[in-house]
Amino acid sequence: MFHLGQYIPRPSVVHGLDPRVKIFTTLLVSMTILRADPPKAAVLSLFLLVGAWAARLSLRDIGTALRPLVFFFVFLFLLHLFFTDGRPLVPAFPAVTVEGFARGLITTWQFMALVACAALLTMTTTPSELISGIERLLRPLRAVRISSHDFAVMVSMAIRFVPTLLLEFDRLRDAQLSRGADFREGTVPERLKKVSSLAAVLVLQTVQRADDLAQAMDGRGYARGSRTYLKELKMGYADYTVMIFALAFVAVLYVFPF
Amino acid sequence: MIRIKNLEFRYAADSTPVLRSVDAQVGDGQYVAVIGPNGCGKTTLAKHLNGLLTPMSGDVWVDDMNTRDTASLRDIRRVVGMVFQNPDSQIVGMTVEEDLAFGPGNLRLPAADIRERVEESLRTVGLAGYEKRPTHTLSGGEKRLVAIAGVLAMRPRYIVFDEPTSFLDPAGKRRILNVIRKLNQSGMAIIHVTHDMDEIVESGLVLVMTAGRIELAGSPAEVLGRVETLKAMGLGPPQVTELMWRLRRSGQDVREGIMTIEEAVKEISSLVDRKTISCGDGAHPGV
Repeated sequence: MFHLGQYIPRPSVVHGLDPRVKIFTTLLVSMTILRADPPKAAVLSLFLLVGAWAARLSLRDIGTALRPLVFFFVFLFLLHLFFTDGRPLVPAFPAVTVEGFARGLITTWQFMALVACAALLTMTTTPSELISGIERLLRPLRAVRISSHDFAVMVSMAIRFVPTLLLEFDRLRDAQLSRGADFREGTVPERLKKVSSLAAVLVLQTVQRADDLAQAMDGRGYARGSRTYLKELKMGYADYTVMIFALAFVAVLYVFPF
Repeated sequence: MIRIKNLEFRYAADSTPVLRSVDAQVGDGQYVAVIGPNGCGKTTLAKHLNGLLTPMSGDVWVDDMNTRDTASLRDIRRVVGMVFQNPDSQIVGMTVEEDLAFGPGNLRLPAADIRERVEESLRTVGLAGYEKRPTHTLSGGEKRLVAIAGVLAMRPRYIVFDEPTSFLDPAGKRRILNVIRKLNQSGMAIIHVTHDMDEIVESGLVLVMTAGRIELAGSPAEVLGRVETLKAMGLGPPQVTELMWRLRRSGQDVREGIMTIEEAVKEISSLVDRKTISCGDGAHPGV
């Protein structure tokens, strides 16, 4: 399974915040990150660290989100280091410039900060909270006849079936392996062919399952459009405080001439 | 009351009928078992009871609503809940409580009422405390119970169970059957579809189906008394029933209508006490 920013249950203030506030703050801070210069970057880094501390997440936790992308970060840094025009950093290597070094640093920081920021959201918010948050934020779309409820049911169902489908895939592969199939041998096209036969069966089974699922949903009274939820989101004192603080923080960052 | 009148059904217009002139009734609070070999049309019949399938000819009424009337389908499905065979294709939530909230949410109940129904149905199936569990981490038996709780949260008056114990170990089966019995005792009408003869003993009425017809209907004792007929249909009677039937056939003085192990033990003990065991064909003296 993918561990990229998976939810980590901890008893923290951040975990308890309204998902809408967290989504809003994440978007706001992300936009700020994309337009940051070095002094702002330092302040934003501090902000993220404080966020992680408040969420009771360690640097190691944040690291698990960044680690799969290390290669990308290094590549990004080298790209800027070698392909930016300017004054040479060391006279012996004219390709490596001072500007390239600076730009490489800030760009790489931007991407790392973006990933860390997103991880702060997903590590402190369950998929269901995220979905209900997005659902509430999308409710105004009713005006253009797009139902946020349908969206919520669709997305949560897609996530719900990921483990089921993975299990099914394992079962199918085991069945074929025990009948003498070998997915590791042969040329790449041959292997692709074998795996694609597996995929065909999986798709067939999934379509069959979708049919059963639709009947079960019918049986439980599902109809498109409006519905109610177990947890209706409600903004509390802490939620308004964090939102106002986030807005003020970003405003100050732009008003203040560093 | 659910009334089935002269029901016929085929999946395609030119295929052989899956159900032929089926007539049956399920009263309030009744426990009806529908039994038959694979492919006899049990599941197809079950899907007619809450309008998932519409009859080709004949009618199905739930209270006074006809399942042909699409306008009343929503109400029909509130009255008749359905638990399918495979729990994996009826659990829609990522966690147990989210799944149970799906039905009440569709009914647009306020959050407090949804919470009440979630807790109540979890207690009924004996899974109190499972609210936050991710559904994919549950065992096969627990998934079945969650699927049942999901239907209970709709507060139906009838529940159709389609082979609710298939693929479960004996302990898992017992758990499900206990829940079904408890529901019936609290006044819920049950339609229990199965191919396991052991499971019909609790019911009040047994409908035996073969090739799309109801061949036999009666109390469990009446149906189980027809051992030869059942065998001819490819249904194995429970071991206790078969044992008592063979004893009687070999000339022992055992009474008819014994369905449980306890009754059988009592009957055989009294036979031993009376020392009236006769050696059927004389091949085994001194039994």
